[in-house]
Amino acid sequence: MADNDLVNVKIDGIAVQVPKGTPAIEAAKKAGVDIPFFCYHPKLSMEAGANCRMCLVEVATPRKGPDGTISMAKMPKPQTACSLPVSEGMEIETQTEQVIADRKAILEFLLINHPLDCPICDRGGECPLQNNTIFYGPQNSRFIEEKRHFPKAYPLSKHVVFDRERCIHCARCTRFTDDISGDHQLAFLKRGADMYIDTFNQSKMVSKFSGNVIEICPVGALLSRDYRFKARPWDILSQKSICTQCSNGCNIKLDYRVGRLQRVNARLNEAVNEEWTCDKGKFGMDYVSTDQRLVTPLIRRDGALQPATWSEAMDLVVQRLKEAGKSVGAIGGARCTNEDNYILQKFFRNVLKSNNLDHRLGTYLPPAQSGLHARLGYHTMGNAIADFERMKTIFVIGSDLVNEQPILFLRVRKAWRFKGGRIIAANPAATQISEFADPEVTYRAGAEVALLNGIIKILAERNPSAADLPGYGDFIKSLAGWSIEKAAEESGVSAERIRRIADAIFSGETAFIAGKAVTEHPDASAVIEAICNLAVLSGNAANVNIPVTQCNAQGAMDMGLLPDSAPGYTPVEEPGLNTRQMLEAAADSNLKALWLVGADPVAHYTDADLAKRALGGDTFVIASELFLTPSAELADVVLPVASVAEKDGTYTNCERRVQRIFKAFELSPDVHPDWFVFADASGRLEQPLPYFSARDILREINVTVPLYADCSPQKLGNEGIRWQYPSAKSDLQLVPVEYRPLAKVTVAE
Amino acid sequence: METNGNEGGHRFSQKSIAQLDEIITHYPERRAAMLPALWIAQREYDGYLPPEALQEVADRLERPLSEVQAVASFYTMYNFRKRGRHHLEVCTCLSCAVRGAYEVMHKLEKELGISAGEVTVDGEFSIAEVECLDFCGAATVVQVGDQYFGNVTAENVDMLLDQLRNSDSHTPVELADALVKIMTPGGSEAAPA
Ligand code: SF4
Ligand code: SF4
Ligand code: FES
Ligand code: FES
Repeated sequence: MADNDLVNVKIDGIAVQVPKGTPAIEAAKKAGVDIPFFCYHPKLSMEAGANCRMCLVEVATPRKGPDGTISMAKMPKPQTACSLPVSEGMEIETQTEQVIADRKAILEFLLINHPLDCPICDRGGECPLQNNTIFYGPQNSRFIEEKRHFPKAYPLSKHVVFDRERCIHCARCTRFTDDISGDHQLAFLKRGADMYIDTFNQSKMVSKFSGNVIEICPVGALLSRDYRFKARPWDILSQKSICTQCSNGCNIKLDYRVGRLQRVNARLNEAVNEEWTCDKGKFGMDYVSTDQRLVTPLIRRDGALQPATWSEAMDLVVQRLKEAGKSVGAIGGARCTNEDNYILQKFFRNVLKSNNLDHRLGTYLPPAQSGLHARLGYHTMGNAIADFERMKTIFVIGSDLVNEQPILFLRVRKAWRFKGGRIIAANPAATQISEFADPEVTYRAGAEVALLNGIIKILAERNPSAADLPGYGDFIKSLAGWSIEKAAEESGVSAERIRRIADAIFSGETAFIAGKAVTEHPDASAVIEAICNLAVLSGNAANVNIPVTQCNAQGAMDMGLLPDSAPGYTPVEEPGLNTRQMLEAAADSNLKALWLVGADPVAHYTDADLAKRALGGDTFVIASELFLTPSAELADVVLPVASVAEKDGTYTNCERRVQRIFKAFELSPDVHPDWFVFADASGRLEQPLPYFSARDILREINVTVPLYADCSPQKLGNEGIRWQYPSAKSDLQLVPVEYRPLAKVTVAE
Repeated sequence: METNGNEGGHRFSQKSIAQLDEIITHYPERRAAMLPALWIAQREYDGYLPPEALQEVADRLERPLSEVQAVASFYTMYNFRKRGRHHLEVCTCLSCAVRGAYEVMHKLEKELGISAGEVTVDGEFSIAEVECLDFCGAATVVQVGDQYFGNVTAENVDMLLDQLRNSDSHTPVELADALVKIMTPGGSEAAPA
């Protein structure tokens, strides 16, 4: 920022320099001065802000007199520091008699109708209203009349319950649903003393992000139905962790008590989730503390899975692995840590001598070195999550973004809401993005390539310099039969809307996000090639994003849980079997042993029947699992393993950010992290893998996987590190893509 | 069938749509037309704003439902429950009270078989108790739509009821209509079908 954009202000006499327009409350933070507040929130717009008046301060600004002398002119009334942009020479006083009296008066006023039922309030002990009252409030109240009364537990949704009596009308929650989640669920009804928060017509609050309002409510008005009355804040311990419910890698705190998870709160990471979580994460992590968790190994005896000791189970595993020789394989790892996965592949590759490793269960199975990587030089996301804020245009294609990538969705919406970005979307059915996408078009399922060809056609005409790109000749020839009208007819999207999409892409830096409708397309490779063409043609080759969806699928790829590449994408000499091939081999009794590592093909593989035949046949199946899943039920040995709450390690999120998790508690002595299980097996095979902790393994990864060289335990810190490819791809080209309407496509393998 | 181009249970007539379109041109953004749009809705939906009316306003202004309800509920002249065709607002403030307002009120309640705040089963009348109507010289005062009736007593209130029974006006709808007219000086009329 240029110097002339900075202004000099004084807070209680302390001089600071801040960018012009900074709210006084932020300038005060910089000066180390506390200004109490309730409604102010740096991520919410001020359009409906400055409600609580808690942040009043006295302000003076320099004025030039008629004789040219400069004097300080005090504003006649106290100002709200949260909504006051500072200007050059401004002097702010936060400790005057007036301010102290104002704070007392505001708090007395806010407490008039507040029930003060702190002893039974979940917020008690971590409540801004309690805290501000202690530090700034009056000792007593003059109000002796009857307080307002409302039902104490008004359920707003499956997750959120509302105590209307405790609400101080700060509008943080309503602004959250308008500014951040965009579902506009909460609003103030009526006015004055009758005012209250509610949903439209008392309908259920429908939001993917409702849990956040619980965290930002400065009092105990919005509460979690799961956590209600479960613990007191001073009784819980907290551990830093990462959400495992999707690949976005939200930073969270696991709040636990006597070895059980009580609740999940967001942890600030500006690069990833800022301070939000989605409801899947905030309320779905309780799986770690359910009674269905496996706590003892199981061995199949007389046709049924029966409890066994750890040694019995491992001896059996090792004996069968010895018999199997190289005829072994492992599926899974997308939900394990990098350390687990690294040891898993090391055990299979170095000890068992097999490359039969795959973490993928979906339809889109490009060998690791082709697909997006072959075209653009990266495997999944060209951009970081925070990069979306700077985009002029974001084109979401084939993705129900709010469900597939919740935090990415919030960033994309932020780009639109606060950064002037333009969002366009094309999906087989309307999604929640239509709130702000302009336009969101719906295309005929499977017709992505037709739609893209229409857009490409327009852009090719507008961008004559594209003719210099390698492959242009064949590429443009392959489009000869295409016109915008034909694209419109094939895709079901009007020519006018195709033009609008093309205009938006043409207008500036554009990022592309493709989702499940693309990756699960029977002809996924063709669609991805077409997206790459569009990106290359429009000068956005660095901005294609096809994020993985499972928690650590990215890390599993990086750690070499692929049949054709070792950690760091080093090609292997003799590629092993992929998921489908392993399942087929097992179903045909051509694989002696199969290890499922946190993978449940019966429930999640596209061909459940194949999965059942594979696991139910002659192949010896080992399942490392948290639960007795449908696949584990078919296994010969089931090994209980640690969840995210019970181990240390790192996950790599969809944007390649490596982030640490820390062990919160212990479940049972027989429950170990996955890496430990493989190290144990290896030891029993007399080829010890001597690691004491996940940290040891990460240090080895730092050395053996150059991409992870910087991701040492010391350096990862609180924000994590996004690993980078050594260089950007220089030989970009255009490639002809054949459009095959859906009916004519058979599942390719 | 005439649909007015109305899908999804929308009720605005062609005239209302034209009026809303005119009103929208008065403001820099659609959202600013919220209050007039609510008056049109109150006219179209029999003098009150059921959830469907709020939905229609939300759809037509492309605003969130919660926002429409928040705005509407801020004001006291939008009705959220059905009112009678004749909505009687009886002043019971000081001067009227001294001049027998409560007798008038009780007589009305007895005659119509409802209490203040209720609507008769046939939807013809509703009664509300209100504060000073600033016509104290003629206490007791009863307001019906935009008309004042002064010097009402328990004895002559029957006459008022008879007079209203014989009129075919619908006061909540007419009040809304009068306001919409003021807001559409362009005099938008129904577009030719
Ligand atoms: S419910 Fe909480 S966040 Fe919402 S307005 Fe009331 S006090 Fe503020
Ligand atoms: S967006 Fe993904 S990582 Fe974040 S809380 Fe939701 S499920 Fe968890
Ligand atoms: S924090 Fe400034 S008015 Fe609420
Ligand atoms: S008191 Fe009834 S009109 Fe004034």
